[in-house]
Amino acid sequence: MTAPVVEAKAPGRAASTPPAPARRRSFAVHFAHYKWLYLLLLPGVAYFAVFRYGPMYGVSIAFKDYVPFLGVNGSPWVGLTNFTDFFANPDFPRLLGNTLILAFLNLGIAFPLTIVLALLLNEVRLSVLKRTVQTLVYIPHFLSWTIVASLSFLLFALDIGPLFQFVNGLFGTNVDILSDPNWFRPLIVLQEIWKNTGWGTIIFLAALATVDQDQYEAAIIDGAGRFRRVWHITLPGIRSTIIVMLILAIGQMLNTGFEQIYLMTNALNRSVADVFDTYVYFVGITQGAYSYSTAVGLFKSLVGIVLIFGTNWLSKRFNQSGLF
Amino acid sequence: MIRRKPTLAAAVVVSAALALTACGGEAPASDLSSVKIMAPFLEAQPPTPDGAVQKKLEELTGKDINISWAPNASYEDKMNITLASSDIPHVLVVQGKSPGFVKNAEAGAFWDLTDKLKDYPNLKTTFPEVQQNASVNGKVYGVFRARNPIRAAVMFRQDWLDKLGLKAPQTTEDLYKVAKAFTEQDPDGNGQNDTYGITIPKWGALGTNSPYDMIETWFGAGNRWTERDGKLVPSFETEEFLQADRFIKKMVDEKLINPDFATFDPTKWNEPFFNGKGGIIVDVDSRVSVLINLFKQANPSDFQNKVGFVGSLKGPDGELHAHPTDGYSGFLAIPKSSVKTEADLKNVLTFLDKLNSKEVAVLMNNGIEGVNFTVEEGLAATIKPETPEGKVVNTDIKSYAQLGTNVTGNNFYPVKQASEYEQKVFDDRVAVMANDLKSAVYNPAAAFVSPTYVAKGAQLDNIVADARIKYLAGQLDEQGLKDAIKLWNTSGGDKVKEEINKLWQDTKK
Repeated sequence: MTAPVVEAKAPGRAASTPPAPARRRSFAVHFAHYKWLYLLLLPGVAYFAVFRYGPMYGVSIAFKDYVPFLGVNGSPWVGLTNFTDFFANPDFPRLLGNTLILAFLNLGIAFPLTIVLALLLNEVRLSVLKRTVQTLVYIPHFLSWTIVASLSFLLFALDIGPLFQFVNGLFGTNVDILSDPNWFRPLIVLQEIWKNTGWGTIIFLAALATVDQDQYEAAIIDGAGRFRRVWHITLPGIRSTIIVMLILAIGQMLNTGFEQIYLMTNALNRSVADVFDTYVYFVGITQGAYSYSTAVGLFKSLVGIVLIFGTNWLSKRFNQSGLF
Repeated sequence: MIRRKPTLAAAVVVSAALALTACGGEAPASDLSSVKIMAPFLEAQPPTPDGAVQKKLEELTGKDINISWAPNASYEDKMNITLASSDIPHVLVVQGKSPGFVKNAEAGAFWDLTDKLKDYPNLKTTFPEVQQNASVNGKVYGVFRARNPIRAAVMFRQDWLDKLGLKAPQTTEDLYKVAKAFTEQDPDGNGQNDTYGITIPKWGALGTNSPYDMIETWFGAGNRWTERDGKLVPSFETEEFLQADRFIKKMVDEKLINPDFATFDPTKWNEPFFNGKGGIIVDVDSRVSVLINLFKQANPSDFQNKVGFVGSLKGPDGELHAHPTDGYSGFLAIPKSSVKTEADLKNVLTFLDKLNSKEVAVLMNNGIEGVNFTVEEGLAATIKPETPEGKVVNTDIKSYAQLGTNVTGNNFYPVKQASEYEQKVFDDRVAVMANDLKSAVYNPAAAFVSPTYVAKGAQLDNIVADARIKYLAGQLDEQGLKDAIKLWNTSGGDKVKEEINKLWQDTKK
C-alpha cells in the first residue's frame, strides 16, 4: 500500500521545480481542486493533534523536577539532570543491554518463525486442515499475559511441573527454570513464540495469496521442486511485505511486553529481566519519580526512532523499497 | 471557504468541551457537605455506597460520604496517579511515607497537622511516639492508622511438634532444630521424605516485616536502622545481619526451607502448612487465626492443636530482640488542593474526629449492633446464623476498618472468638505480644526522611534486597553480598546515612 504512494509523489515533486511564486499559485489551485480530500483528512489530523501530539507536552516533565501538587507548569526546570542521572546510574547499561538483547532475540527468532509458519500453512493443500490449524494457532493470542505467566508457573513449577521435569531431564540438570537467570530469556522468547506466532501469520498468509499462481505452474514445468518454488517464487513474492512487517516489528521492538516481563520477574532473575518498561513502572509509578521515569521513557523512544530510521535506511539501500 | 466555518465551529466546540472536562474534575471550594475519601480495600469487592454501614456512617457523621475504593495491591500506583490528577479527594489514605508522598508533602500538597490534632479529643493521640514515627521529620501530615506494634510470630504445626516430642521454639537455634526435625524425621508419619521446615514466599523488599527482616532483628541487627558507635547505620551493615543471613542460608542449603522461596506465590502461603508439606511460617500473628480457620473448615470436629505459635525468638546472644512494626499503617492525609481554606480544614478535621469516636469506631470495626453482632461481656459476638443483612455488614466492615485511625487506642469491642479454644488462642496471642512489647527494638530512624532516600531509596534498597535473596539462593557468595552493600553505599547510600544521622542529631538537640 505504501510503495505506490511514494512513487505517485515522485513525478509531482519533479513537476514542481519552477520558481517559488508559480509553485505557490499552483498549491492554491491544487488545494482548491482537492478541497474535499483535505476535508476528509481533517478528522485524522485533528485526532493526531489532540490525542497524540497534544499530550506530548507532558514529555516536558522529563526536563523538570515534577511534583504533582505543583503541576506541570509550576514544577521547576532542571535541564538534563534526569538524563545525566540515568546515564550515570549503574542500572543504565544493564537496562539497555537487557532491552536490546530481548528485543533482538524476539526479532531474530520469533519473527522468522512467523514467516516459516505462514509458508508451512501455505503449502497445506487440504483446506479443512489448513483452516483448523490456522484457528488453533490463533487462539493463544487471545489469552492475556497473566494467563500465559500462570501457565508457565504451573508447567515449570519446581520439582513438580511437567515441563520442569522434561527440560531438566533433557539437559541432565536440576535448575529452577523460573528463577534461574540463564533461563529467563529463553522462557520469554518461548512464551512470545507460543502466544503470537500464529497470529502473526495472518498478514503473511494474505500476502501469500497474492503471489501469481502462473509462476508456480511455469516453475513446475521447468522441474522446480517445492523448496525451489518457495525460495525463488514465494519468498520474493512477499519480500516487500516482509520488509514492511520487519520495520513495523522493529518499531515495536523496544516495547518488550511490560506485562509479560513484569510477571516473570523475581529477585533472582531481575539482573537479566529489568527492561526499560519495567524500570519506568518501578521508579515512576510505584515510587512517584515521574520526571526521572519520563526521561527514561523518552530515551527509550529515541532509541526506537533511531532503530526505525536505521532499518528503513538499510532496507532502502539493499532493496530500494522502504516504509517511508 | 464556506465549508470551513463549520470546521472552525467544531474546533471551538471541541476545545470548549476539552476545557470543560479539564475543569469538571475539580471540587467546588468550601462545599463540604459531602466528603470525598480515597481508601484501599482488601476484600474481593469494595462495599457499595448504598450499604447499611455507609448509611449509618453518614448518619453518625452528618456528611454525605463518597469513597473511592482502590485495590490494596495497586493502591500506591492509584494514589500516585490520583495525586497527579485534578480529581483529588478531601481525605486520602496514604499507606506509608513513599517518595511520591514525601515529595508532594514537602511541596505543600498536604496540610501540616502537627499543631492542630491536639485540639480534637479523638485525634489527640495517646501514642505520641507512633505519631512521631509517622511524621516526616517531625511534621505530621496525617492522622496515623494505629496498629499493634508487635505482630511477629512463628507458627508451626503443633501436631507435628507433639508427634516428634519437641518443644515450641524459644530461640533461633530452636527454630533451626524444629525445622530440621520437620524436614528429616517424617513428622506426618507417611514414611516418605516429603516435608520441609519453613515456607517463605516471594517477598524480597527490605524493611517490610518479611521473614528475613524478622529473623535479622531477632539476631540483633536492629530494625532497618540501628545505633552503632554513636551513629545510625542501616541494619544490613551490622555483623548480626550477616550472621542472620548465614543462618537462613544454612537452612536453605539443608533444604529446611522451600527451595522456590524466591518465586513462591505469597497468596498460597498457607497451603503447604495446611496440606502438611511445610510446617513453619514466620509472619504476623494474625495469620494464626487464619490457619486455625483453615483447619476448622476442613474438619470442624478436629482442628484444635494443629497450629501452635510463639512470638519473637531469642537470638544467639540469648537476648530477646522483638521485631515491632512502626506501630502505624499509613495515615489519613488532607490534600490542600481539595481542602482550600483553614475553615474547610476545621470542617474535615471535625469529620475525622467523629470518624474516631467510639460510635463510629464500633460501626467500622464491629458493625451494627443487633444486625451482625451483640455485645457479650464486653466482647462483640457475631450473630449466628448470619442473616443476609448481617452478611453484607460483616463483609463491608472489613473495608471500612481501613478508615479507622484508633489513635486513642481501640474504642471498639474485641471480637468474641467462635469457640473456647479459639478464644484461648486469641487471648494467648494478646499475652505473647504484650510480653514481646517490652523487648521491642524500634527503628530509630522511623521519623526521618532523607532527600537522597526519597530520590532513589527504593532502587538503592533493591540492590541489597536482591543480593540477599541471591545470597540465600546460592547465586552470590558472602563476598558478593558484602559487595552489594558496598554498592549501596557508593550509589548514594553514603549520602542517605549522612542525612539520616544529621536529622537524628538535630532531634537530639
